[in-house]
Order: sequence, then structure tokens, then C-alpha cells
Amino acid sequence: MCEDLAMREPLFELEGLGHAYGSVVALHDVDLVVPRGRIGLVGANGAGKTTLIRILLGNLRPTRGRVRVLGFDVGTEALEVRARVGYMPEGDALPPDLTAADFLVYAARLGGLPARAARRRASDVLTLVGLDEERFRPMGGFSTGMKQRAKLAQAIVHDPDFVLLDEPTAGLDPTGRDELLDLIGRLQGFGIDVLVSSHVLGDIERTCDWVVVLEGGRVLRSGPIAGLVDAEVVVVEPLADHDRLVEALAGAGATATREGPLVVVEADDDPFDLVRDVLADTGIGIRSLGPRRTRLEDVFLAGGDR
Amino acid sequence: MTGPGTIYDLGYRPYEGPRLGRRGAVVAILWDGVARVLGLRRRFRAKLLPWLLLLLAVLPAVAFVGFSFLLSTFAPEVDSPFGGHAEYFDLVGTLALLFVSLAAPELLVPDRRHGVLALYGSRPLLPRDYLAARAGALTIVLSFFLLVPQLLLWVGFAALSTEGLVRALLADVGSLPKILAAAVVYVAGYGAPGLLLAGFGRRRAVVTGGYLALVLVGSGLAAAVTEAVALPGHRFAALGALVEHPIVVKDWIFGASNPSGIVGRAGFEPWVSALVITVLASAAGIVLVRRYRRLL
Repeated sequence: MCEDLAMREPLFELEGLGHAYGSVVALHDVDLVVPRGRIGLVGANGAGKTTLIRILLGNLRPTRGRVRVLGFDVGTEALEVRARVGYMPEGDALPPDLTAADFLVYAARLGGLPARAARRRASDVLTLVGLDEERFRPMGGFSTGMKQRAKLAQAIVHDPDFVLLDEPTAGLDPTGRDELLDLIGRLQGFGIDVLVSSHVLGDIERTCDWVVVLEGGRVLRSGPIAGLVDAEVVVVEPLADHDRLVEALAGAGATATREGPLVVVEADDDPFDLVRDVLADTGIGIRSLGPRRTRLEDVFLAGGDR
Repeated sequence: MTGPGTIYDLGYRPYEGPRLGRRGAVVAILWDGVARVLGLRRRFRAKLLPWLLLLLAVLPAVAFVGFSFLLSTFAPEVDSPFGGHAEYFDLVGTLALLFVSLAAPELLVPDRRHGVLALYGSRPLLPRDYLAARAGALTIVLSFFLLVPQLLLWVGFAALSTEGLVRALLADVGSLPKILAAAVVYVAGYGAPGLLLAGFGRRRAVVTGGYLALVLVGSGLAAAVTEAVALPGHRFAALGALVEHPIVVKDWIFGASNPSGIVGRAGFEPWVSALVITVLASAAGIVLVRRYRRLL
């Protein structure tokens, strides 16, 4: 999948991109090529995520550098870009006195759809996001989960090629979060590329193929999530003889360390084969054996060193 | 007996029809503005005040024409309590002022307050498109407000004429450009400061109050300073009487004079009021575009 992503036209390209608010530098000469697909944008507060999103939308003129989105130069073709993107802002963006149906028709017309097509699309998308039964309710009375769905609906109602989602699961309970993430995960199947900006690293791991880690206005890492977080580490839980297992694994060329009841094994070759052979040779019984997924959070906290 | 049912999963249907781009977005904002100002597709409370003001603007003209038909001895040119088109603008102009105080904040404040500007910022339009569409919505509704009663009077006067309807309409057709020009002056003179304040206020009620204070209380203060303070150049304070400029220009258009107004008493010609309105409207536009470039 990652090879497929890399072979297609980039979703966006940043070339020497820098931006400063007065003396505060938000982005430092960023060079980045991001492929089509489901992209996660991770960073702490002040990392430059919102600045980057505003620049990608053409709302903010960067201090220096060039930006291309979907092949269009944002500096000179911002309207071409905006005709093809959707945006779900983090903050409130819903007129409380409008019904969801009226709002979505309006959002579709703002995206350039004729009135009749806008009404049809609004109806379809309300069903898609699960708000069809609430379509005639003023949105001021919506729950947080319904508001997030309405915000996502307005971002896709005009059928964009690329949608930028800023903290889409903010304020949601676990069930609402699950449902929204499922929906976001389906967007690429509709032909819509996605950029998800989030503090919640689990959301990025679950929905994205590619991750961009920002810190202090610099890109720490940009790459496929699979390569970034799936370190080949095996965790074994022996029934007994932990120390003997560690010695045997070390003797077989692996790096083995004991962590409580577990033995963590890293090896240059396939660690599963190596553990299997050592267990067969030593006759040590085990309770469990499996891969340990390195979480994106670990990568983020390690400052992108991994 | 029914046959076995079939469920078709239509899934997601991409849109492959035409896209209207920037023009479509501007038209959408324009009609959203008209609906918003008139409370259309909103709760009854949102409709109440604008429609009440519209009714108050139209009702005198309707009543006048109606009574004129009923009372055969009624001579409109002599017995009309409104005099004519210029005088009716004085009545409807005051209502228009109140209307702007409600409509201008309704057009700009909620979008900022509820974060909807983020939506506009992601669509194919520029900040000036948004502002032009909102100002256009105010112009459409305010023009309707100002012109409908005038057109009723125009037709009403003609219908009551002894010369016959068509002949009288043709004879008075010269009033139409004057009516239109006067309406433009009221829209610019009262609408521009309303939109300017609405572009900065956080709450609709505060903008409404601030606008009425600026236009009404400010005009009273301008008159007081002009007449009571004996300082060099104090007569220029009369130019701050924002409520008066559209009236002065309207009288100028209709060939009437307004000697009792503070602007006239301060010795300014009507063209000065026209200039003040032009400068005010242009400045409001420039300031708002600069502000919304940062917001959108």
C-alpha cells in the first residue's frame, strides 16, 4: 500500500515553507512531499499544525516557500485548491439557528453545487453520517457527537478530492469517537484523500496510512505509519525459567530483556522464527507469544528518533 | 402475498455534475443573507421584527391609496398627508434606520461568533466576495423596504389621477429614477455604518445599540456642538450628523430644500452630504475588507 501511495501524484508539497507571526516562528523551512491517502498530522500545541492547515487552504500566506496542493500552487491558485477541498475545523462552525438539512444545502452551494444538486447531496451525506433523523432540528440543540458529524458532513457535502480534519474527535465519548473514526476511515474508499490533525495519536494510528510528526515548527518524521510504528519486536510470556530463556535467546543472536513476567525479543532476522527455535531447543513452555506494536506515541515522545 | 425484498446499497455517490465555483458561492451567500435578515427558514421570533418594520413601511402607502379610492373627493396632490415621494422617504427612512440596526448585525455577527467563517475560508471565494454578498443582501432587502411603498404611491397617484392610469404613469415616469437614486443614497448612508460596526461587534444587541447611538445620539451631539460651541470650525461638527446626510441628498434629488436640518444650517451644500456618504461607504468597505482578510 505504501508503495502505491508513493507512486501517485502528491497530495501536497512544501518547498522551503516558513511562516512567522511577528517574532514567533511557527514553521521553519519545511520541505515535505506527502502522498495521496489518509495522512495523519501529529504535534503538540504550538507545533505548527493549524498554521500548516491554514496555509494548505490558502487562508494564510506563508512568509516564504512554496506550497502545492493537488498539483495547484496555493499562492496563485488558492481558489482552485479550495474548489477541491473540504475542511472540518476544530472549533464550532455551525449556525445554531439553522437545521442540519438547510446548513448542508448551504455548505454544498458554497462549494459550487447548483441548488438542486446541493439538496440531493445534503440528503445523501446526512444519511451517510447518521444524521438523517435529525435533519430538521436546529443544530443549536445538537450533542457534541452530532455537531462533529454535522461538521464532517459539511466538509464532504460538495464531494471534494481532499478533506482536512482538524481534531475531528475532540470532545467525543468513546462510542462517538469509534463511529466517527470508522466514517473517516471510509472516506478514502469514496475517492476522498484525508488529512487528520490530532493530538490523539491512537486516532492517527487507527485511521491513517502516513504520518507527519511536527514539533516546534519542524517536521520530525514523515513516512508510512507501518514503517514508523511496527517495529519487529516479539513479546514472550514463559511459564517459568525466564532467565534461562533470556540467556538462550542471547546465545542465538537476539537481544532479549526481561520486563516482569515478559521477555522482549528483538532480532535482525524474523524474531518469531528465532523464538520458536529457542523454545523448541530449551523445552520452555509459554503462556503467550506475539508482536509488540510500538505505539505512535512512543515515536512522538522519543522526538522522532526512532 | 409479497415477493422477496431486495436491499440496494447505493453507498457513496460522487458528484459529477457542473460546479459553479466562485459565482455560485457568492450567490449562495447573497440569498442566505436575504433569508437571514428576513428570518426565513428560522423560528417565528427571528421573523417578527423585520416583517413588522416592513409592514409599517408599506402600510401607510397602502392605507393612503385605499382611502383615496374610497373617498371620491380626495385629491392626492392636495390632501396627501405624505406630500409626495420625497416626504414619504422621510417616514420610511426612519424605519429603514431601525431596520439596518437589526439587519446589519444579523448579517455579519453570527458568522464570526459561531465560527462559520472557517467554512467560508475553505470554499472558493475571497473575503471581498463574502462582504460584497452580505452587503448585497442588505441592499436587496433595504431597497425592497424603501421602494415597494414608493412604487405603491406612484401607481396609486396615477390611478387617482383624472388623466387615466397609463397617461398619469407616463407623465410621472420621471419620478422613478429619483426614487431609485434616493433609495441608493439611503442604503449607502445608513447601511455602510451599520455593516462597519457589525464587522467588529461580538454581539448583535451591542451592535444594534451602538449603531443607533452613533447615528441618532451622534447626530444630536453634532447638532449641539455645531450650534452651541463657539470654536473655530465648529460647523464641521455638523458633518457628524449621519442621520441627516441621506435626507439632505434625497431632498436635493427631488429638488426640495431642507433648511431646518443641521447640515444646511451649518452652511453646507447638499453635495457635501453626498460626498460624506460616498467617503463613509468607501471607507467602511476598505476597513471591512482589510479586517476580513485576516479572519477568512
